[in-house]
Amino acid sequence: MFSEQAAPTAQGLLAPPSAEPPTFPRVPVSGYSDCSQPFRLGQRSFSRQYAHIYAVRLAGMRPGLEQRARGRWGSGTALRRLSELQAGEKCCVVGTLFKSMQLQPSILQEISEEHNLVPQPPLPKYIQPSDELFLEDELQRIKLEGAIDVQRLVTGTILAVYGSEQDDGRFLVEDHCFADLPPPLPWNGPSSSRFVLLASGLGLGSVSGEALLSTQLLVDVVTGQLGAEGEQSCAAHITRVILAGNLLSQNTQSRDTINKAKYLTKKTQAASVEAVKMLDEILRQLCTSVPVDVMPGEFDPTNYTLPQQPLHRCMLPLASAYATLHLVTNPYQATLDGVRFLGTSGQNISDIFKYSSMDDYLEILEWTLLAGHISPTAPDTLGCYPFYKSDPFILTECPHVYFCGNAPHFQSKLLQGKEGQRVLLVTVPDFSATQTACLVNLHDLTCQPITFSGFGADSED
Amino acid sequence: MADELYLENIDEFVTDQNRVVTYKWLSYTLGVHVNQAKQMLYDYVERKRKENSGAQLHVTYLVAGDLLQNGHVCHKVAVVREDKLEAMKSKLSTVASVHVYSIQKALLKDSSPLYNTDYDIVKSNLQHCSKFSAIRCAAAVPRTPPDAPRAPAPAQSPQRQRDPDAAGTVNGHGPPAARPPPQQHKGIMGMFAAKAAAKPQDTSKETKAEAKEAPGVSAASSKPPIKNSIMNNFFGKAAMNKLKANSVPEQPKEEKEVVKPSVAVAEAESSPNTVAEKPGKKTESARIQQKDKNSKAKRADRSDDEEERDPENVKKKRRRIKQLESDSSDEEDVPPSPTPEEERAPSPPPVPALKTELEPAPTEGSAGGRKRKRKRVLKSKMFIDEEEGCMGKTG
Repeated sequence: MFSEQAAPTAQGLLAPPSAEPPTFPRVPVSGYSDCSQPFRLGQRSFSRQYAHIYAVRLAGMRPGLEQRARGRWGSGTALRRLSELQAGEKCCVVGTLFKSMQLQPSILQEISEEHNLVPQPPLPKYIQPSDELFLEDELQRIKLEGAIDVQRLVTGTILAVYGSEQDDGRFLVEDHCFADLPPPLPWNGPSSSRFVLLASGLGLGSVSGEALLSTQLLVDVVTGQLGAEGEQSCAAHITRVILAGNLLSQNTQSRDTINKAKYLTKKTQAASVEAVKMLDEILRQLCTSVPVDVMPGEFDPTNYTLPQQPLHRCMLPLASAYATLHLVTNPYQATLDGVRFLGTSGQNISDIFKYSSMDDYLEILEWTLLAGHISPTAPDTLGCYPFYKSDPFILTECPHVYFCGNAPHFQSKLLQGKEGQRVLLVTVPDFSATQTACLVNLHDLTCQPITFSGFGADSED
Repeated sequence: MADELYLENIDEFVTDQNRVVTYKWLSYTLGVHVNQAKQMLYDYVERKRKENSGAQLHVTYLVAGDLLQNGHVCHKVAVVREDKLEAMKSKLSTVASVHVYSIQKALLKDSSPLYNTDYDIVKSNLQHCSKFSAIRCAAAVPRTPPDAPRAPAPAQSPQRQRDPDAAGTVNGHGPPAARPPPQQHKGIMGMFAAKAAAKPQDTSKETKAEAKEAPGVSAASSKPPIKNSIMNNFFGKAAMNKLKANSVPEQPKEEKEVVKPSVAVAEAESSPNTVAEKPGKKTESARIQQKDKNSKAKRADRSDDEEERDPENVKKKRRRIKQLESDSSDEEDVPPSPTPEEERAPSPPPVPALKTELEPAPTEGSAGGRKRKRKRVLKSKMFIDEEEGCMGKTG
């Protein structure tokens, strides 16, 4: 993208100083609207049980699923509740999946004195061949068997199954379907190339300093300091930067101070203090040049449960002096130049990764879009706020760009839907590990990774 | 010639000062556009090599372009040493830009000195970090007061920009304490916003001055600017003589007495006011007026404390008090500034208006305790002096 336009003047700066060098104005964002209002929590009350969220989730997705079921298996399909099931009758049931896993960490087992169990260490995946699937609706649950991939599915998914109840009380599944892609949004994209930079996992405050130069190079490219004139003029077309979580490194989460004696920890400062100062300086440099949206992630100083609330402005005094800094929620939804973005910092995808046989982050990202829900495993295995009025994670409109942060590597795919939906799926890699960020072109919904590197003692080729 | 100057500068930086001269560092140091800095570096390298082929000069370049990696085209931006430049260029399918990144005398093992140089120069220039960049963003404007109520109008004082940095380093309580009072009180406190004083000492002086000349509010507004400059000088002076000599702070105090008794006391009091920012600006202003009354009478007593009330000594004075308080566990942790308060005569009329939060009763109630504390401070000092005398004898 950049290179074709920039190539002609590539060597332009290998010359004696010329007259006044050009300054390029940053292409302004013509239409920005923040649509993440459902993810902002006002007064939070945790006095409710989590059963309500499942109830509203099912109630919210049931009509859509029933329509999909009718379309797939015929309009005459019998739609039954579990309580109305009759043995042997072929019908369709809409309900919530529950996967019973032996290895799933259970707090009750951990604290139970009878078992005398040491809490199990975190595993990369908790799936086992002996896992079982149950379908639950408002009143009952039934065990599922048959043409359904137990390993692949996760708890909390709403789906419609077609089959019949057996004599032994289990449901034999012949086919199943998900909510599929939500209805499309009209396309009002820009007429010329505009870029949005997606980066995640800056990982400030970590012990190693290898990624620091790469972070500085990233800031320099975006603010137009690095590169020859052609590249700088291309960089002026970057209209926005979205930082998708994990701005701080996992090393800043020093929890041992809680267990240590006070006299040992009195004078020590939390590692995140220094890291946030560094973040403030980096954001200050970015904010003087480009609008920035900062999403919190797993290791950032904000609440743990989804939806994560924006970082507080007081932590970033230098950067928040500028109006170009936007501190936003995780998940984040916004319309930029007529293109709808929706994305998370990756906790939803990595949680599904742990409890499903799916290995590819892009595959999981696509699956959540097809299942119609951003994070089905919340609140079962992923912390979530006890919603009771409505579930804000249900996908009601199809975004144009759907991303997740902190993936192991960069992947992107353009998904075409039956109703004319076009979605660019992007897995944004962890910058501290890969030194790669993504440039999304809003004009044609393409994405290009951009990698930064310095040189080390062991100079690579 | 003007162009030759930069060559000499670069020569000095690289060879004499043995620095790592990155394009960004040069751009900030010489105040030129980044592209010009890159070109200057290239020019210098070329000329130096032409005249002296054995010159000890190592150059790193920035190369950017398209690279085919893992099946997709990736835009790569890399800093490479000179010897690896051609290799990197040949790896890229399209080269988007090449320019000099840095020049240094020694061969770099890794790129961390480059990062450190850039980090340092950016850190010291954070206020205008995009000044020499090639991209200007029209949307990047500082927030206006309604958006960010913590910042008074930025146009009024260029110091404002430094506030976030200054506040964090000098006195973390400064700006937050300075901001709420202007919002809460219009009228007299409106002078706060009008002044947009960056330093809490300045605001306290103003309130002090305003309260003093209550009828002449406008007069007060014109006077603080003059006072401020004088006071700043005094502060500068007093800041340097922290705990050294009691006499030195007395001199500025005497001078102040000549200028304006209220002003002098205000300055003296302003340091306890900075200490007492937590209780709030109103209490400080009240204290100012009260101190004003008995300033001369209590000069002797307070001479020891005056020097300690310098803004920089606030913490030291706090520590001293705290050490005493740790001795006597039943003492409350009260900043020293309220102590002069109770010793004052009844406050002038404007004071009750300002002292809405702080009631006379609690302060008077703890007056005895504070008095005791203050005396203890003096005693301790004498004790130390005696100790030193003793040590002198024995040592």
